[in-house]
Amino acid sequence: MNRILVVAEMALREIVRRRGVLLLLVLLPLLFYYSRRDEAYWQSVRMVTLGIGFTLSTAALFAGMGARTMDPRLRLSGYSASQLYLGRLVALWAVGCTVCVPFFLLIRLDIDHVRYEAVVLLMALTVAVSAPLGLAVSALLPRELEGMLVLLSVVCLQILLNPDKTVAHVLPFWFSREIGTYAIEHDAGTGYVTRGCLHAAITFAVLLILVGGLSSIRLRRRAHLSTA
Amino acid sequence: MTVEDWLAALAAELHRRRIDPAEVVAEAAAHLRDSGRPPMEVFGPPTAYAVTVVDSIRGTAPPRDRGAPRLQASNISKRYGRTTVLTGVNLSVHAGEAVAVIGGNGSGKSTFLRICAGLDSPDEGQVRLRGTIGYCPQDGGTAGFLTPDEHFVLVGAGRGIRRTASIAQGRTAAAALDWPRGHAAKPARHLSGGTRQKLNLVLAGLGDPDVLLLDEPYQGFDNGSYLDFWQQVWQWRDAGKAIVVVTHRLAELDRADTVLDLSPRNQR
Repeated sequence: MNRILVVAEMALREIVRRRGVLLLLVLLPLLFYYSRRDEAYWQSVRMVTLGIGFTLSTAALFAGMGARTMDPRLRLSGYSASQLYLGRLVALWAVGCTVCVPFFLLIRLDIDHVRYEAVVLLMALTVAVSAPLGLAVSALLPRELEGMLVLLSVVCLQILLNPDKTVAHVLPFWFSREIGTYAIEHDAGTGYVTRGCLHAAITFAVLLILVGGLSSIRLRRRAHLSTA
Repeated sequence: MTVEDWLAALAAELHRRRIDPAEVVAEAAAHLRDSGRPPMEVFGPPTAYAVTVVDSIRGTAPPRDRGAPRLQASNISKRYGRTTVLTGVNLSVHAGEAVAVIGGNGSGKSTFLRICAGLDSPDEGQVRLRGTIGYCPQDGGTAGFLTPDEHFVLVGAGRGIRRTASIAQGRTAAAALDWPRGHAAKPARHLSGGTRQKLNLVLAGLGDPDVLLLDEPYQGFDNGSYLDFWQQVWQWRDAGKAIVVVTHRLAELDRADTVLDLSPRNQR
């Protein structure tokens, strides 16, 4: 546990020192929010969470890519692969939750007639899914540019695709449409929340397994090495 | 094993022990030719015969029993696509021994070290490791946004060392390498290349590992730091560590106990 917390602390320090990332973490969701504020304010709630999802997964991508040269050394120093990625996830979740606070307050003060508890749920699930999404992309792709393009494509598709289409269901933030609908439409039933939570839970589990599996393979103990 | 193979193996073993093999190999070849008997019957295994020859030339006593090697790499081979970089490489490093791994660019020095560390897989061969390992990569190995103290804490926690002890150990080791003042609070990306490499080296030795694998660790060092580095290697050796240093500086060979030449002509 101590090792996970030390990795989390150091990952947090690294993220906080990336001033540009911090600025984008705040600025981009804000732009997403105001892009729909005047003509379709109810969509602002969903847009701001997509903005948080995109920036947090991008921060996770950079954290994962940056750790590539350090991880083998840490593995040889006694860390397990799971301690490394769990520590990084804890740091990213902490950053994500912190970023969500001002945006929740913004919605609370700026938009009336919204189910605020659903907004909290939506933000929490977005943060939970975004961190492993970015780490999974960083583990699958060789460079940051490719990873950024993939994450950008995911968010664009999430916005552009008809959510009723089956293909939209496999996108990682599909749940935001469901829970967002419940948050802003008062005649929407709890079925939206159930479907959204189920989708988020499955997405989270798949991403976590992917991150864990890829990290374990990359940092595995090679078969040719035996220790006494 | 054919006569030619045996002679080539003897030459490689002598070369590794910094003995010019030409004369010894020529004598052995003549003896084998005259006797007409197989080399294993006449001289025994090439490694054992090389040790005997080296002892007779240097006039040393038979080696004391140093126990099992800390690091034993056996028959390591590695290919990248159609390019073979390592063929049947063997290396044993005991406690209190420093080995220099030499070879030209692309001869597989870093690959061999990564295989010894368990970071890469060979196509053939085994590595047996006794004890903990400290690894200094040729590049990377540090986090640009963390300070040296934070690096010490991070690596130290992996080895089970408490925060304050990690920082104290790291700073002491850094001071021995003529670490510039005021650099403890700077993120690694703001350190000079040489200072960052010193950090890399200090991290490899943090927590007192039994085996140290150092991949050209002195890049960017000035001359004073370079000498400090070898002092550090000898201190580790005297403390009973097994050390492998990858290098391309041939002038360093007399600083090591054993030399492993990975130039293609010396691989079997």
